[in-house]
Amino acid sequence: MSRSINRRTLLKTTGAVAASALSAPAFLRHASAQDAVTLTWWDYYDGSNGEALEAQLATYKDVAPNVTIERTYIPFADLKQKLLQGAAAGDLPDIVIIDNPDHQAFASLGVLEDVTDRVTEWGQASSFFEGPWNSTVFQDRNYGIPDNSNCLVLWQNDDLLTAADVATPTTWDELTAAVTALSNDDVYGLAVSAIKSEEGTFQWLPFLWETGADIPTIDSEGGRKALQLWTDYVANGWMSKAILNWKQGDVLGQFQNGKAAMMVNGPWQIPALRTDTPDLKWSVAVLPQESQAASILGGENAALIAGGSNIDAAWDLLLWRQTDEPLKSYLLQAGKLPSKADLAQDEAWTGDPVINVFIEQLKVAKPRAYGDQYPDISAAIQDAIQAAVSGESPVEDALAKAQGIITPLLP
Amino acid sequence: MARATASNQTRLRAAPRRLNLRGLSPYAFLVPAIVYIAFTMLYPVYENIRMSLHSVTIRTFLSDNQPWVGLDNFRTIFNDEEFWHATRLSLTFTVGSIFFQFTIGFALALLFSQSFPGNYLMRAMMLLGWLIPTVLSGTIFRWVLDGDYGVLNYALTSLGLINDDRYWLIDSSTALWGTILANVWVGIPFNMLLLLAGLQGISVTLYEASATDGASAWQRFLTITMPLMRPVALSVLLLGLIYTFKVFDLIYIMTAGGPVNATTVLPIYAYDLTFVSFKFGTGAASAVIMLVALLVVATGYVWYTQREEEAS
Repeated sequence: MSRSINRRTLLKTTGAVAASALSAPAFLRHASAQDAVTLTWWDYYDGSNGEALEAQLATYKDVAPNVTIERTYIPFADLKQKLLQGAAAGDLPDIVIIDNPDHQAFASLGVLEDVTDRVTEWGQASSFFEGPWNSTVFQDRNYGIPDNSNCLVLWQNDDLLTAADVATPTTWDELTAAVTALSNDDVYGLAVSAIKSEEGTFQWLPFLWETGADIPTIDSEGGRKALQLWTDYVANGWMSKAILNWKQGDVLGQFQNGKAAMMVNGPWQIPALRTDTPDLKWSVAVLPQESQAASILGGENAALIAGGSNIDAAWDLLLWRQTDEPLKSYLLQAGKLPSKADLAQDEAWTGDPVINVFIEQLKVAKPRAYGDQYPDISAAIQDAIQAAVSGESPVEDALAKAQGIITPLLP
Repeated sequence: MARATASNQTRLRAAPRRLNLRGLSPYAFLVPAIVYIAFTMLYPVYENIRMSLHSVTIRTFLSDNQPWVGLDNFRTIFNDEEFWHATRLSLTFTVGSIFFQFTIGFALALLFSQSFPGNYLMRAMMLLGWLIPTVLSGTIFRWVLDGDYGVLNYALTSLGLINDDRYWLIDSSTALWGTILANVWVGIPFNMLLLLAGLQGISVTLYEASATDGASAWQRFLTITMPLMRPVALSVLLLGLIYTFKVFDLIYIMTAGGPVNATTVLPIYAYDLTFVSFKFGTGAASAVIMLVALLVVATGYVWYTQREEEAS
């Protein structure tokens, strides 16, 4: 029986130790919480994009020494899922960076803070480009601020173009002539991403828009022409069939290794090209046009999570990021374009021959603003691209099927 | 000391009560596990079933006002041609994977049950496939099966088996088999290991006795190995079935369900409904259907093993 007494004493002792161990940090936490704010932050910026953001956020210490920012990197493919799980569990960060075509869907989910009044008070809404700004608006209310913009342009390997005596194509006919001349056993004339994800839709939509067609009229002469272009390029061996499984990062890899003479890609690839393959000679040009010039507007927005206890501090941080200096160095380091019209006129962008092309292209870049059913619309487009390019079904059938799915989903 | 004496005196009377406590104490020890399972397994399953019976979209996901729709979500799914397509793909994927995993795994288990130099080293190396993260094995097989630079094309052209490069994961007629190939490679070590354990459980004396009586190796395999391996083999097959039926990550990394929907097996179908289209209700319903299918298999397995145990 003495054993059981001993055991009880032991339990008491360990209990007391455990209690004191718990109470000490709790007390400390409480003391420090009185004068410091910790903001949690989720985004999917990796590589040089992530470094640029880290560098920018680190300087916020000088402006607001009491604010600690806890940044969490979440891979692009997981962020939406994490946000939904977090929303269900009530465990979300103060600030989240989201891909702009997803912004309306998440606003309709109800997890994003309505910042309409704060935006009015701030009074700088009109300094943004219309496309990026509209992507933050859902049912006439504001749910965030654009973080950066990007668009797709044509990249060319200068050495390969010179060797094949090919000039920068400016029309689809010239593009076709160029890819014909550039393709051989070792090299594909052009590389794009046609993967079954938003990246595939993102890459193909500029071609659709250049014909004058649009998503609501996807099953039209223009739509067929745009899809036929990709299908023919693959069938003729000017683009690899593997584009159906390439992300835009894979497309960059092909270009960097000289396996693709030209590619369609965005400005976020600039840092990687300059650091990883400094010897590669490349240049950019606006996308070759058909009946009109077009590109697609990409980019991310920053949003506040509704009902957070640090919402004022979080909003202050977002406004500080929009002031000239932290914004400019962040965008330049990350290879991103400003969403503000006045900043786009800055010498830093207009003076750089590469960036200047992006700024030019941005003027005809269209946003994906097709309502909160856009994810399903995009999925139907991806299926059409995959079916036609793989040769599984004719372009006409693929687009007719897509049109049937898309029409009832449009707002 | 006084208390100790007192307790000595009451020991006889206290005995039945202590016995009772003893009877309960195993359950007391189970409480943490039960609480853990309730929170991490039962609640999500309950929540999943609840969602499958309500209309849950992105607009109602967080609200308390999710209208009850009965079996509408299930009707939507059963009327969806894509669901039946996904079901067929899942069956092909599961049966194809298990057939090759099991036969190759069994053959290797028989090999490694013999003693030869380097046995342990090679066995350890075989395990690598099972140990490396799926994201790596998926990516490796994406490269192996690549149409432009893939090593499979190189090998087949060198052997003169094909003339043109084939895009294994992009051609809808071969994409599913590409994912099956990767999954077989990942699953072989698991099958081999369990079957090898089973083989080692068979007493050597049986083989020695039958060899003395003049049984050939083939006869020994048919009359000793096969019947005695039946319970182990069945466990391996059923575990494999459950595991393979819900494979998601490997296929998602290799093809994301494409081209078009050539590799959209049921788990990817459910994922796309939920996290791409934000149709949470129908997505949950498709998950419930998968759960029921696997429960039937698992129940059958438990029933069978109990019958086997009673028989023996």
